Amino acid sequence: MLSRHSPEASAPLSPRGLSVARFLDGGGIWPAVPALVYLLVFMVAPIATLLTFGFVDIDRGTVGEGGFTLSHMVGVLSDPLVWRLTWRSFWIAVVSTSLTLIFAYPVAYAYGHLRGAARTLLLVAVMSPLLTSALVRTYAWIVILGGRRGLVNQTLLTLGLIERPLDILNTSTAVLIGMTQIHLPFMILPLLAVLSERDRSFEQASLNLGASQTVTFFRVTVPMSMPAIVAGFALVFAVSYTNFIVPQLLGGGNYSTIAVQVYEQTIVVLDWSRGAALATLLLSSCFVFVFAIVAAGNWLTRWSEVRR
Amino acid sequence: MNQLIIDGVTKQFGALKVLQSCDLTVERGSVVTLLGPSGCGKTTLLRSIAGFVTPDAGRIRVKGQDISRLPPNRRDVGYVFQNYALFPHLTCRDNIAYGLVVRRVPKAEIARRVSQALDLIALAAFADRYPKQLSGGQQQRVAIARALVLEPQVLLLDEPFNALDAQLRLSMQVELRKLIDRVGITSIFVTHDQQEAMALSDRVAIMRGGRIEQIGSPLEIYDRPRSCFVADFIGRANLMPTQVRAGRTEGPQAIAAALPDGPATLVARPENIDLTPGSGPGWPGKVTFLTALGPVIEYEVDCGFSVPVRAALPRHAGVETFEPGALVTARIRDEAAAVVLPGEPNHA
Ligand SMILES: Nc1ncnc2c1ncn2[C@@H]1O[C@H](COP(=O)(O)OP(=O)(O)OP(=O)(O)O)[C@@H](O)[C@H]1O
Ligand SMILES: [Mg+2]
Repeated sequence: MLSRHSPEASAPLSPRGLSVARFLDGGGIWPAVPALVYLLVFMVAPIATLLTFGFVDIDRGTVGEGGFTLSHMVGVLSDPLVWRLTWRSFWIAVVSTSLTLIFAYPVAYAYGHLRGAARTLLLVAVMSPLLTSALVRTYAWIVILGGRRGLVNQTLLTLGLIERPLDILNTSTAVLIGMTQIHLPFMILPLLAVLSERDRSFEQASLNLGASQTVTFFRVTVPMSMPAIVAGFALVFAVSYTNFIVPQLLGGGNYSTIAVQVYEQTIVVLDWSRGAALATLLLSSCFVFVFAIVAAGNWLTRWSEVRR
Repeated sequence: MNQLIIDGVTKQFGALKVLQSCDLTVERGSVVTLLGPSGCGKTTLLRSIAGFVTPDAGRIRVKGQDISRLPPNRRDVGYVFQNYALFPHLTCRDNIAYGLVVRRVPKAEIARRVSQALDLIALAAFADRYPKQLSGGQQQRVAIARALVLEPQVLLLDEPFNALDAQLRLSMQVELRKLIDRVGITSIFVTHDQQEAMALSDRVAIMRGGRIEQIGSPLEIYDRPRSCFVADFIGRANLMPTQVRAGRTEGPQAIAAALPDGPATLVARPENIDLTPGSGPGWPGKVTFLTALGPVIEYEVDCGFSVPVRAALPRHAGVETFEPGALVTARIRDEAAAVVLPGEPNHA
């Protein structure tokens, strides 16, 4: 190991020896190689295969004679319904992500002010939903929101606050409620990491300069946590935009989004080509939106990037 | 007129008594330094004035008004943090403007006062940079300007030079003192560097274990320490055990002392000790070590006390030099400059 660093010994290294040495050194991209290989084989390749289905004809599970065709893609892109659903996916994701941010921020902020058992308890409470699958949690929301006997309606009826059961289930409200709750941990965790470690002297400086606690929160605490907000927002946006379970189950059969369309075309209608073409649209539009979020975030947090 | 009066401020963290009835009075426009060893409560006292720490007892008055119960944002006391705490997401200009903006000062006035402050710290050219893009010394100036632009009643600075390298430290000390004199603001510094305290302040308050042990001008404290701790902490001092009998010390040099009979400590600075070769009137001893400091040579002489006597002799022509092992006699040059304290020597 030592000899690697002495100039005389490094000259006659074989290319193989060199790459092993570099790998061990942790230089450049080498440490990321195992993860990259894994992703290439088990993610990029299958997705690429899947997406190519959108550019060929598929008949009963086999690729048809015609070869490359843009007809599915053109069909998808010229369908006004597809654009309406993309727009809806986008809005539901934006609103739901904004709601997670609004709910997550106080939790992460409170975490920084707690000590000992209360702190551990909060962390466990934040993480525990991740122990069950999203599917189970979505079904739980059906039980809570659904029908006359659902938890919400029963409580409100018993308290006499409403006359007739509310129709929450199978509406966009139900989708928003479910999606927001299910994605909450993904927003809380990045915020919590940053907010709990923050240096309080900045807030004290703000108080000292005459700002109230509220002004300090909005002018110092929130802007300084902007990098974490952007990270959480991009992450939760991506999972909300592409989520098909929640809109399908809580929105009822009649509530569709672009992600639900991909599922239905592929699994129900068995039109793999149209499904793949829709998936191409879903994936590429998701990239565009996430890129836009990150770009906006970089602009908002340009102070954190400056160098001398 | 007294700008700031701290009266019996006491603070306990758990079982630890961090501040024990601290009293301090700061005159308008003067610069006071809190000096003391690590953990003696300097920062806690400063934070009590700013309102980040709530004292258990005692009162803090600014211009006669009791501010002890006010929240930090209503105290009108500037605070310069040790790490400067400049807001990283705001430019220099916006950092300096922050206090004015949250006070809803009219825009035109903000612009005027901020550009004035930028001129004061000679950083107008850097106004639109973020704190990260500034050097440590520049960041410090911005932090000071951010506090000064609000024209607070008192400016508090917690070890403002700590993050700077030795070279920059010296020049910033001088610059800061000039700046403070120019705006004439009442200031309290915290430091544990005694040279910094001597250089910067009108008065020095020596703290020890949560108490203020002595307050006075730097020279007063240097010349007339009231305890062995102060003598030892400010500059270097020889603490020699002696006995007082009828108003004079016993031993080779009888020095007047207004103390009752009993054990006492003779305090003499190294530069007030003279060495002569061989034996004579004084404390006989043997040179054990020498340090050539440049302008002076400092000798350690074993005179039979628990710690060696230090003597700093100038390097003029005609002043004798000694080698380790040389037999010498140590004596106090100027008896009037020696201090006699009650009790046995007590080394800090
Ligand atoms: N919030 C706190 N909780 C518990 N103990 C504290 C707290 N703040 C300070 N202390 C303790 O109080 C004592 C004095 O602390 P303080 O920071 O005032 O010392 P200092 O004189 O500024 O020291 P230094 O020169 O090292 O900065 C220390 O023993 C410290 O551990
Ligand atoms: Mg301190």
